[in-house]
Amino acid sequence: MRRAGGLVLAGIMVGGLMAAAAAQGKGGTLRAGLDADPPSMDPHRSTAAVDRQVYQNLFDKLMDTDDTLQIIPMLATSWTTSPDGRTVTLKLRKGVKFHDGTPFDAEAVKYNFDRMKDPNFPSARRSEVLPVQKVTVVDPATVALGLERPYSPLLYVLTDRAGMIVSPAEAKKAGTDFALHPVGTGPFRFVEKIPQDHITLERNPDYWVKGQPLLERIIYRPFPDDNARVANLKSGDVDIINRTPLPQIRQLAQEASQPGARFKLLEHGAFSWQGIWLNVTKPPFDNKLLRQAFNATIDRNVIANVVLQGAAYPSYSFFPNGTPAYDPTWKIPPRNIPLAKEKLQAAGSPSGFSCTLLIVPGQVNQAIGQAVQSMAADAGIQVKLQIVEFGTMLHETDTLQHQAAFLGWSGRPDPDFDIYPFVTQSGIGSFNDAGYTNPQVQTLLAAARLLNDMDQRRRAYRQVTQILADDLPYLWLYFEKEYKLVSTRVHGFIHVPDGMMRFRTVSLSPQ
Amino acid sequence: MTRFAVRRLLQMIPVLFFVSVIIFVLINLVPGDAARLFLGEEAPPDALAALRHELGLDRPLYVQYLRWVGGMLRGDFGHSFKDNRKVLTTVLQKVPVTGELTIAALAIAWTIAIPAGVVAAWRRRTAVDYSASAAALTGLSIPNFWLGIMLIYLFAVHLRWLPASGFVPLGQDPVLNLKTIVMPAFVLGIVLAAVVMRQLRSSMLEVLSADYVRTANAKGLGERVVLVRHALRNAVIPVITVMGIQMGTLFGGAVITETIFALPGLGRLTVESIYGRDYPMLEGVVMFSAFAVLAVNLVVDIVYSLIDPRIKLAGSGP
Repeated sequence: MRRAGGLVLAGIMVGGLMAAAAAQGKGGTLRAGLDADPPSMDPHRSTAAVDRQVYQNLFDKLMDTDDTLQIIPMLATSWTTSPDGRTVTLKLRKGVKFHDGTPFDAEAVKYNFDRMKDPNFPSARRSEVLPVQKVTVVDPATVALGLERPYSPLLYVLTDRAGMIVSPAEAKKAGTDFALHPVGTGPFRFVEKIPQDHITLERNPDYWVKGQPLLERIIYRPFPDDNARVANLKSGDVDIINRTPLPQIRQLAQEASQPGARFKLLEHGAFSWQGIWLNVTKPPFDNKLLRQAFNATIDRNVIANVVLQGAAYPSYSFFPNGTPAYDPTWKIPPRNIPLAKEKLQAAGSPSGFSCTLLIVPGQVNQAIGQAVQSMAADAGIQVKLQIVEFGTMLHETDTLQHQAAFLGWSGRPDPDFDIYPFVTQSGIGSFNDAGYTNPQVQTLLAAARLLNDMDQRRRAYRQVTQILADDLPYLWLYFEKEYKLVSTRVHGFIHVPDGMMRFRTVSLSPQ
Repeated sequence: MTRFAVRRLLQMIPVLFFVSVIIFVLINLVPGDAARLFLGEEAPPDALAALRHELGLDRPLYVQYLRWVGGMLRGDFGHSFKDNRKVLTTVLQKVPVTGELTIAALAIAWTIAIPAGVVAAWRRRTAVDYSASAAALTGLSIPNFWLGIMLIYLFAVHLRWLPASGFVPLGQDPVLNLKTIVMPAFVLGIVLAAVVMRQLRSSMLEVLSADYVRTANAKGLGERVVLVRHALRNAVIPVITVMGIQMGTLFGGAVITETIFALPGLGRLTVESIYGRDYPMLEGVVMFSAFAVLAVNLVVDIVYSLIDPRIKLAGSGP
């Protein structure tokens, strides 16, 4: 009931926004500031989160998520799952054309899956579509995905890069050069990319949603420096930025609430998670008691509300507030120094121990590192902070050379991709930076993939979380809230909690 | 002069060769697997192998090195790991940005430093000298990123006179080009001005106590003539050396300034290529910077001889 009410409300809101957008008129160039230069324009090869910001407007996906994270039709208009859960049949939208004029149809969908699964093509999507064994073209507007076994995360997987359909004609012609002139079916088409300078997209006049998009052009510009990104929004040089530095949230919220403010701050529930990996394969954290001692020293409320000034929720699981598997009854343990000392005693290190915590550069990372350092020191645990660049961090954690590492995850709408690879054998050497395995966890997570009902899945995830809360391969710290800093000129922007900026409903009022 | 230039150009070849070896070795010593960074965290081993093969990373190091150098000799600097973009085209795209920034910063530095240095030396141990020195010390001490952000807040956010960031090519819109370059050039120029001013002051002091200056004064020449024609011209030689070194550094990329002002120059290309383990791009940009530094130094040597006829360029004799 609540969901239906929410949908109606969302429908009214979207309708209202679109009416408002129509009143603002068409045209104009939206300038979007990004926190990094998107490295690749090929969704099947992309590995950077920031790439997805541009893709939202360049490519359509088979399905999309709305602002309540429900799956909604996009290039697929409807879908059915066979009773045995092993065939998912997609009905495709008719009359859609790629930016190069070639038609979108079932053959194109099949080609895209083949491209992602081709062993000779270095696709970053291969593992995401691994459960799809066979793609059958039923008719030009119907495609059947044959699965090895039921796989509940599939639909959500298709709302992201794996569901983005590239033009087969262009992909075949360009090969690995596709990223230089990407072609999709999205509301905007590619014009140019100058590395570290800008990416320009222009309106797709043949877009399949009548009357959309409203903007004439989008220019993305990278601003790796947090302060510079915010300053450019304030000066009016850009109209929206994808990431707002958490330590500035309180100040920006205050400025945005002043009369005559030229920007607004939009907030959404959290989508990503942050915490500390403890390498369980080498000392000191191969000792569970020491992991438990370290965990007991941490005050998650202080981290979320004092260090991050309320721009995050304290966390004690992999499922952020506002995502489908979030469990509101799951409690965050209070800080407990006597317990930490007890665990140290039991581990035979009553006076504590020392360890090195890797962090990547950045104001927030250092602030969190220092907070954890001082909290742990109260129980005699000496945390040395070591700042390393991201590539080095990945190398250290992939090869399990580290002791502890502060690293999070940008989050996915389906809970499976927020937990599965992080705590199972399959993720060792990549996502599982603890080197942790547990047969019980493996069984429960594999079972959750077979279940279609989110309530049942949530129960399985709760059991896993209980085990992880005792084993502690990862110290959950906080869920970052999702913010967008937007000029008051921007109208009709729908803020989806995944943080991805979809601009087809957006219009601009004159400067 | 021509023979000198040709000889110096030939001398660059072994230097560039050593640079190429060093950069190649260093890049391969840095931890981190390019294929892993490009394929993401959950890449299956066969996909990684396919990508390493595509990028040529599965070949022995000496083969990789020879292919790279061989390519360069044919004018092919390779393709970016990220999106297969041509390295040379990308590097050359950045040159106008960094080049203009360097020249503008240099112009600002000279404009401030030359009068300040001359006056400080001429009126040494007076309030003028002390305040010029204090100003120079301040200029040296202000962090680039802080000054940059303060300028943005003043001129772009509050006064709205200048754009906060970006680069518009000179040919496209000269006025806007000037507006986009003035703040970053000032940030770089102010530090450079401080260095040049300190250098010029001390070399002026030395020259001013020289015999020929005393002679010039005794001849009854005007103070201005003695200062500018006799003293400054001789004092400026060491300053040019400093400028040459500084300019080389600037041309290698003013990373922080480029980042704050979102300028797509060589500095940011270098840093992002390091972070992304984009080896061909990084190798290309470092080779280019090395070449630029050598070229600037050659120009500096030629300028010496123009300013001071006593300096004979080896090989350019009669």
